[in-house]
Amino acid sequence: MATQTEGMENLYRTTTPTALVDPELDLAARVRPDFPLLDQTVNGHPLVYLDNAATSQKPQVVLEALAQYYRSDNANVHRGVHTLSSRATDAYELAREKIARFVKARSSQEIIYTRNATEAINLVAYSWGLSTLGPGDEIILSVMEHHSNLIPWQLVAQKTGAVLRFVGLTPAETLDLDHYRSLLSPKTRLVSLVQVSNTLGCINPVQEVVRLAHAQGARVLVDACQGVPHMAIDVQALDCDWLVASGHKMCGPTGIGFLYGKLDLLRSMPPFLGGGEMIADVFLDHATYADLPYRFEAGTPAIGEAVALGAAVDYLQALGMDQIHTYEVELTAYLLASLAKIPQLRLYGPPERAALAAFSFGTIHPHDLSTILDQAGVAIRAGHHCTQPLHRHLRVQSTARASLYFYNTRADIDALIGALEAAGEFFGV
Amino acid sequence: MTTGNLRNLYQQVILERYKKPRHRGKTDPVDCQQRGHNPSCGDTVELTIAWDETGEGIRDIRFEGEGCAIALASTDLMAEALRGRDKTAALALVNQFQAMLRGEGELPLEFRKLNVMQGVSQFPVRIKCAALPWHTLKAALTNPSQPVTTEAP
Repeated sequence: MATQTEGMENLYRTTTPTALVDPELDLAARVRPDFPLLDQTVNGHPLVYLDNAATSQKPQVVLEALAQYYRSDNANVHRGVHTLSSRATDAYELAREKIARFVKARSSQEIIYTRNATEAINLVAYSWGLSTLGPGDEIILSVMEHHSNLIPWQLVAQKTGAVLRFVGLTPAETLDLDHYRSLLSPKTRLVSLVQVSNTLGCINPVQEVVRLAHAQGARVLVDACQGVPHMAIDVQALDCDWLVASGHKMCGPTGIGFLYGKLDLLRSMPPFLGGGEMIADVFLDHATYADLPYRFEAGTPAIGEAVALGAAVDYLQALGMDQIHTYEVELTAYLLASLAKIPQLRLYGPPERAALAAFSFGTIHPHDLSTILDQAGVAIRAGHHCTQPLHRHLRVQSTARASLYFYNTRADIDALIGALEAAGEFFGV
Repeated sequence: MTTGNLRNLYQQVILERYKKPRHRGKTDPVDCQQRGHNPSCGDTVELTIAWDETGEGIRDIRFEGEGCAIALASTDLMAEALRGRDKTAALALVNQFQAMLRGEGELPLEFRKLNVMQGVSQFPVRIKCAALPWHTLKAALTNPSQPVTTEAP
């Protein structure tokens, strides 16, 4: 028996000579065939898609759900009595329930469909912000916010006289919690914070941020665009008041995202957009409004996209969010170790990070770098990634960014490194 | 890597001008100043011009700012081509250069140095980079003091 076990162990070792990743966990190998787009050549090279923080690719099941909806179920929701309308409504509401379960909301009434995370933040800013905030009230943001979690609050501050405060960074380029604590006061009415920075990759201690804010009676909105696609999210454990995400970054289609909000809070908020679907009873001079979630969904929504987002949630859950996260942690470690071999490369953000890396490479401008990499089939993002104030804070005009998803492989990262080295040679850095 | 394509885009002159621009700085005096901005990447070019005694000719033109190799080489070569030209000639050159970026022919002999930018026409997403200083120049000559961007208003 003993020798047999030994033999098996040896066999196991010899079959996985290079794999630091348990093959059982090697998600990419399993899921790759699910993503038809990834199987193509770009400029004569196999596509290496490393721009996932901008948008993810879509698995076949999501494309199929979208097509199936339009092929056989398309009708307007919550209006007709006919069979198709009822089928469309069921599919639309089922997707909402899937999203609610996915982020562990208490009820699907707490999930409002929006076009994207940007619209979700604007919904809160215009509805809650404008009706609640006044002169001298304080809104705490951080210097690492995406423009979508900055501009809406600038607009609210201009209209209400509320004041914006910004949490800075530690020397390790993470959220400065001590600074945050020092900014909190009874004047703080709102903290609106990114969960995972799309530029630094740092994962912010949202739970602690929420706890401290609530102790001051302030509300908290979490921008979870870069979190929801990559790790399990539990809005009840976070205890945040609102949380927003975009469907297209989590294997879903564009044009659909969602706002989670605590039920009582959402109920207390005035409507955002007015129109059909959000009403209870309409008169010429006034109207009463529908209950949640419809009160915030004026007009015909993105029905097919919502249904397809439901399929994306099913797909992610079948893979397992913890498995996805574990795989991405391994892959990120490989990415960082590989990037560290290029001496002229300056990485932004801490070593403990989500699956993305923004960097500068010698004197090569990120746009030039991206063009050169594109010629090798490698797609990265170049620019300010909608975090211009953060780039100013880091004293850099723009950066290059490689961002991973669970379908990326070590070979993708090797291709990135090869292309970076070639670019370095080309530009003589 | 499709090196041929890249060599065509990043001709040696472009790489040299990016690393060692010849017309960086500010003119003395600053008779005209214009800032150009590409909001999609944050690149900026700040042009300054000193007129000659007639007030119609460009005695000196210099630039400051940050940008990619394409944008900065384009700016440096533009400054070189414009020194000693009058406003009318400069505006005509803006149109000729933009036509070249659209792939519509090349520039005449006297401006042949600018033809190194021709490869950009094969990279549509980079045309904005090459065009930034020229947009900025046009604004400086026709509607000074309004900041320009590469995006249509």
